[in-house]
Amino acid sequence: MWRNTLVMAVRLMARNRLYTAVTIGGLALGLAGCLLILTYIRYEANYDAWLPDSDRIHQVQTTIHPPGQADVHTQASPFPLDDLLPGGFSQIEAVTSVASGKTVTEHDGQPMFLDATTVDGDFFRVFALPFVEGSAATALPDTNSVVLTESEAIRQFGTADVLGKLLSLGAGPGKRDYRVSGVLRDLPGNTSLRLGIMYRRDVDGIPAEMRGWGNYDQQHYVRLRDGAAAAAVNAGLPAWKKRMWPPEMLDGKLVSIADAFEFRLVPLRDVHLGQAQEAALTPAGDRRALATFAVVALLTLGMALMNFVNLSTARSTQRAREIALRKVLGATRGQLIVQLLGESLLMTAIAMLLALAMAELAMPWIGAWVGADLAMAYIGEGGMLLPAAILFALAALLGGLYPAFHVSRFRPATVLRANMSAAETPGSGRLRAGLVVLQFAIAIGLIVCTWVIYSQTRYVQTIDPGYRRDGLVQIDNAWRFTQGSEYQAAHAAMLAIPGVTGVGRTGLGLAAPETSTRLMRAAGAPRHVTMEFYSTDAEFLPTMDIELLAGRMLGDRHAADRIAGESEAELVARGINVVINRAAAAKLGHRTPRAAVGQVVEIAFGGWAMVPSRIVGVVEDTRFGTARDAIEPIVYAYDPEHTSQVLVRYAAARPSEIMEALDGVWRRFEPEIPFEARFADDIVAELYAADRARGALFATFSGLAVLIACLGLYSLASFTTQRRTKEIGIRKVLGARVRDIVRLLVWHFSKPVVIANLVAWPVAWWAMRDWLNGFDLRIGLGPGPFVLAGGLALAIAIATVAVHALRVARTNPIHALRYE
Amino acid sequence: MLRMRELTRVYRTDTVETVALDAIDLDIAEGEFVAIMGPSGCGKSTLLNLIGMLDSPTNGSYVFDGTEVAGLDESALAQIRKAGIGFIFQSFNLIDELTVRENVELALLYHDVSAAERKRRTDEVMDRVGIAHRARHRPTQLSGGQQQRVAVARALVANPRLILADEPTGNLDTSHGDEVMRMLQQLNADGSTIVMVTHSPAHADYATRVVNMLDGRILQERRRAA
Repeated sequence: MWRNTLVMAVRLMARNRLYTAVTIGGLALGLAGCLLILTYIRYEANYDAWLPDSDRIHQVQTTIHPPGQADVHTQASPFPLDDLLPGGFSQIEAVTSVASGKTVTEHDGQPMFLDATTVDGDFFRVFALPFVEGSAATALPDTNSVVLTESEAIRQFGTADVLGKLLSLGAGPGKRDYRVSGVLRDLPGNTSLRLGIMYRRDVDGIPAEMRGWGNYDQQHYVRLRDGAAAAAVNAGLPAWKKRMWPPEMLDGKLVSIADAFEFRLVPLRDVHLGQAQEAALTPAGDRRALATFAVVALLTLGMALMNFVNLSTARSTQRAREIALRKVLGATRGQLIVQLLGESLLMTAIAMLLALAMAELAMPWIGAWVGADLAMAYIGEGGMLLPAAILFALAALLGGLYPAFHVSRFRPATVLRANMSAAETPGSGRLRAGLVVLQFAIAIGLIVCTWVIYSQTRYVQTIDPGYRRDGLVQIDNAWRFTQGSEYQAAHAAMLAIPGVTGVGRTGLGLAAPETSTRLMRAAGAPRHVTMEFYSTDAEFLPTMDIELLAGRMLGDRHAADRIAGESEAELVARGINVVINRAAAAKLGHRTPRAAVGQVVEIAFGGWAMVPSRIVGVVEDTRFGTARDAIEPIVYAYDPEHTSQVLVRYAAARPSEIMEALDGVWRRFEPEIPFEARFADDIVAELYAADRARGALFATFSGLAVLIACLGLYSLASFTTQRRTKEIGIRKVLGARVRDIVRLLVWHFSKPVVIANLVAWPVAWWAMRDWLNGFDLRIGLGPGPFVLAGGLALAIAIATVAVHALRVARTNPIHALRYE
Repeated sequence: MLRMRELTRVYRTDTVETVALDAIDLDIAEGEFVAIMGPSGCGKSTLLNLIGMLDSPTNGSYVFDGTEVAGLDESALAQIRKAGIGFIFQSFNLIDELTVRENVELALLYHDVSAAERKRRTDEVMDRVGIAHRARHRPTQLSGGQQQRVAVARALVANPRLILADEPTGNLDTSHGDEVMRMLQQLNADGSTIVMVTHSPAHADYATRVVNMLDGRILQERRRAA
């Protein structure tokens, strides 16, 4: 019986090669897409799941409610938590603090940056990371030791067997030797931790003012006792915080700053895709993008399954006789359903094998595209065998069930009587038309989305950022370079490079991952607000070419402009001058930029001292981040001691030569630190790299979906024209011309595409409006993409069908009428 | 063997009601060779489909081998059909994807017969109808007469007690048609009960009884003298 089923299935596939190729090929493409996306989703959703006891480890996240601004969700938390949390909650077994930064070492005579992670002594109690050399008990016994990852050890020493060896780290007076006390196995790619060279925190070396509740330079991780619930800790945190966090003196009054902050334990495994992404150690995942990919993958598979159902039912007229005969010979409907499902299982199995091969081949490519370390494992944790088996069963059943029930329903007396076309049961034609409408609706929707995403991605890269982007270089890691007496000489050397027209310093550069928000209050205003505070030098704004709207720029001609390392008390006494942008002026309640000039705003400095700051100028708004973010109100202060980046403007010079000359100046003045500089255009391009990659992936899947739809339509058109051969013959005998026949058939298949537009347009419009709302600056959603997508789908459909239509229309009607 | 009383079959569409069989009474005994004749649309094929339980009557009684089958559901009818009835069609209805042997064997697949027994019976019946030498061919490679012989072999292989033939010579030329009729006559002589629908008076002469139909009724019956 099974042999007969198999023989029948194989011979049927061989006989209907087009149908077989389209069904299996389309299904394989759809399944491969699903497997790829599923692998990616599992990769993203299983961040940190590999860590031992990962369900007991939580990150302490902070939600800040800044006055007059949207809430900020950050993975950082204040310094005192490390000491205070363990005593506050019996559920907590250990707490550790992790601060991330950079250090330098010398490698082959060249300075080299290394990621540096400063942790406290409990780090390995919280994270039971596997060691290659040494152990958790002996790692980081003091502040003179370091722990390396295996690959870092090999990079520095050529071997992982480095226990006890010395590594020289740091620059200038901070440079010293550290003893390697442990080597960790490299962390897998899907972790929210980024561990560079690990140091032990030197608490004594931290100045008193950096030990307060205002220091957010670290993350805290908590290991709960076995069986303890994070919810219990979270419930107790607000009251605990109030007890621990003393009121601060603000504006001469004791204020409970703690009210503006909320702490919460978040499971480590939820950190990567969680809401709080500020201060994340690794790039955030995008839950929404994952959901979008999942939907697109399912739609693609859905298209392939619809082809399966459509072609199976269309082909059923050919099978009707065989099925009826089997019934006559005693087959029960159940036996026939099993046979037909068996055929669909066979086809799906072949498609699945092809899909697995395709997915394996495409995996490294897709992985590189989305920046994930993707690999296809079949068994073990995260193995794809079970999901692939489920996907296979689902596809075989969804694709095979309806055709099996449909075909096995034929009544033998009707089918065997004579004309096979009579075997077409009422309803199956309507179902096919419905599925074609659905397929094209999906294809049109995806084309619209692809077009809108592409347009928006292009648009955001061309919008006016408020500063001149061409001819601009940003030098990073210049926290030492920008300070001290040598900067003046370096500044002069840079300006002496032919083509360089300006050099400025800032604390926050382009696409800065961090922010510097300060509490402020317009003089006499009842409420505080928060705004960005940029420490710059006097040349920053002119170098950036940011337009002055009113007043003047900051400079050395006015003594109050510059902050020169005075104490907070001195600054409160003398006051400072600042320049603000248009958005800041508006936020402070000034109707025009000019109206803001001369006004005073109080700005909070480190110890909550409110420094009176006179607005001497207002500049145009700028967009230093992405177009997703709203324009930020910014206060610029002349405070060169808190700058860490240099911006260089050049004109009429070759970019590579400018870069080379800047490198030369850097090496002369900062030989211990590597030179890292990027063109502003590249920084902005990088900002949108993830958007572009996602857009490209989306476009690929859309293309795939459209291809599958067209394959299905092509095949369906082939069957339908075959079925209508007799009708076409009669029409020709009655005088129809070739073009009348072509028009008839093309219209037959164009109708569903036209109807598909009506389905696709509102859904795509809604989805794209929602997506565009995520951008502060966005393109308008006009009829263009919709008409274009509809037209494109129609053109593709007509081209697909016209081939068959022409062939059939040209057939001699005598052959056509002899057909049945 | 079978007994029909007041058997009626009405086809209904939204607007038209067609009475294909109008209260027919018919008895067929074991070992008979019955030819049903009549003009197109008189209800011959409908009657054959009802006898073969491929269709169900609208009214009336149909007793097959002592069992009332009118009103039975499809799976029960399939069981009775499988156990006792073989079919031969005008258009052969062979499956193009299967070889001659596989087409013949198909009739045993839905019976509880071992593979060895299937092979033995398939070989035997192919021998009997003279098609064994074409066992590995596909139907499309055979002449019309050969195809109908394969169809006869398929109808015989499960040893049915009743063979129903719907214009078995309708698609064949005279010589092939005669060949098939002689084969049916031999089967009848060997003990099979045969009911055949035909347009050809010459072929009806091979039968032991001829039933003439018109407008869904039996007009007359005549028996051939033994």
